[in-house]
Amino acid sequence: MEEDLKTERKGQLLAIKDLPTLPTVLDEVSKLVARPESTTEQVARLISMDQVLSAKVLKMVNSPIYGFPGRISSISHALMLLGFNVIRGIIVSTSVFEVMTKNMVGLWEHSIATALASSTIARACGLRDPDEYSVAGLLHDLGKVVATVQLPELKIAIESLVKEKDLTYLAAEKELLGFGHDRINAWLATHWKLPPNIKEGMDHHHSPQTAQLYPEMAAVVHLADFLARLYEFGSGGDDNVPFVQPDAFKILKIKPKDLEAICDTLGERFVEVSDLKFT
Amino acid sequence: MLLTPDAGLRAMLTTLWGPGEVEWTHYEHGRGAIEHLFTEPPDLLIVDNDLPDIKGLEVAAIVKSENVYRQLPIILAVSEAVVAESSWCGVEVDDLLITPSSPTRVKALIFLTLARASRSFDANPLTRLPGNSSIIQRIQEMMDRKEDFALAYADLDFFKSFNDKYGFSRGDEVLMMTARVIVTTIRSFTGVKSFVGHVGGDDYVFILPPDTVEEACKRVVASFDSIVPHFYDEEDRARGSIVSTDREGAIKTFPLMAISIAVVFNEGGRLTHYGQASQIATALKKKAKENKKSCYVLDSRGRNAVRENSD
Repeated sequence: MEEDLKTERKGQLLAIKDLPTLPTVLDEVSKLVARPESTTEQVARLISMDQVLSAKVLKMVNSPIYGFPGRISSISHALMLLGFNVIRGIIVSTSVFEVMTKNMVGLWEHSIATALASSTIARACGLRDPDEYSVAGLLHDLGKVVATVQLPELKIAIESLVKEKDLTYLAAEKELLGFGHDRINAWLATHWKLPPNIKEGMDHHHSPQTAQLYPEMAAVVHLADFLARLYEFGSGGDDNVPFVQPDAFKILKIKPKDLEAICDTLGERFVEVSDLKFT
Repeated sequence: MLLTPDAGLRAMLTTLWGPGEVEWTHYEHGRGAIEHLFTEPPDLLIVDNDLPDIKGLEVAAIVKSENVYRQLPIILAVSEAVVAESSWCGVEVDDLLITPSSPTRVKALIFLTLARASRSFDANPLTRLPGNSSIIQRIQEMMDRKEDFALAYADLDFFKSFNDKYGFSRGDEVLMMTARVIVTTIRSFTGVKSFVGHVGGDDYVFILPPDTVEEACKRVVASFDSIVPHFYDEEDRARGSIVSTDREGAIKTFPLMAISIAVVFNEGGRLTHYGQASQIATALKKKAKENKKSCYVLDSRGRNAVRENSD
């Protein structure tokens, strides 16, 4: 019975047709792509500020129609391959949330903060393609957005359970759904044929120690999520700073005190985006 | 060619175009018509579903089952009632003419069917870009009109060794990616006449006005070089090369794939034949190939120099 319910919910979640976003970035991007002199880099930088648009662009470029599923993990590469026509099409067909709740805005801000923290950590650790870590960081809570759209009544229940019992969002999801947003992420990434490194960052950000193929990706997003919460930039849906898996440091071959230098850089980068407002 | 016992339809079609514009060959039966179709294929076949001796759909199936005639566009003329009761699954006709219909509709339908057929006729089966005969036709037309244009030939270095190591399907991924990089780059130059074709394998062609082509080459090279490493396995990407066996069976190291572009300018009606352009391009290509990295070579105007990606 339990298993049936899970399969049914998985089906409901993956059936998502219309994934809405917040209007702020969407408006900006549509203005930018309407101008002929806009460059791919400008558009990529802006799309990288919106988890839903980024997910849509990656889903599109990795779809079998284009002929190279699971290969593209960077937004700028996706734009080079899709072109502005397709991007315009994606923007026009993207709707916005009718009700913009405080929680939703917080989640968008938290996602950007995690993206920034991910690329900062990746650079500090000397990992290649830091932009791809940024993408995984940006998308790490996408499962929460999809659950909100497809299972709205459960979302309300989760939020009240978080408040009532002072649980983490993940614990509340598990109590009510039987699985967390990390599992939803894994389903989405597989269903949308996202590259395996992005998938592992998304579905193992709470458990980097069990990541099989790209443990560095999972460890980076795990620490980035922690730092974003520590700085209280945006909100992941609860007030707890999550427990840090000591394995994350081992995987990245760094010591907890190395985070100090990372925090210094990150503080500066947060200032750069602090004027970005979703409300 | 028109294949129908319906005198009304025949009369209508013959009045749509003046004499000399379109010539119709008319048959009332399937028999003689099929032979004619096979010996002198027309540009278009309109076949009535209700022929006295054979079903229109059967005629269509006969034509479409032969690869040499497949590209012949077929319009099936049927009544509304037949359309409703038929299952169209697996039917090989290009469009339907619902009878009775108005002359303006029929004319539009024929135009669209012919245009569609010319688009898909020689398209590359992988990338669906226009193929060799469309490319030659386009270039020759522009030469005949004495238009100024730049013609670029692009191909990949070390594609064969990639294919040998990773297999054809991974190779096709790279070909699709390359096609997209070229198409999106060329399309980003709006308001100019442009064209992209796929000769076959790893050979592509694009046409742009002479003053935009260098910028296009730079962007294609930069995009290709930044994307292509992601089509290799982690280990090869980190090393920046692949180990594969060459034609003689010896183990060799090959660099990552690169794109080479040779550009021929046609200004002031300098070139008159497609052959001239491809000859110049072949010579330039050789020059570009001496460089193992992605690069482009521009012909004439004192720009005959190899440029690499500066990143």
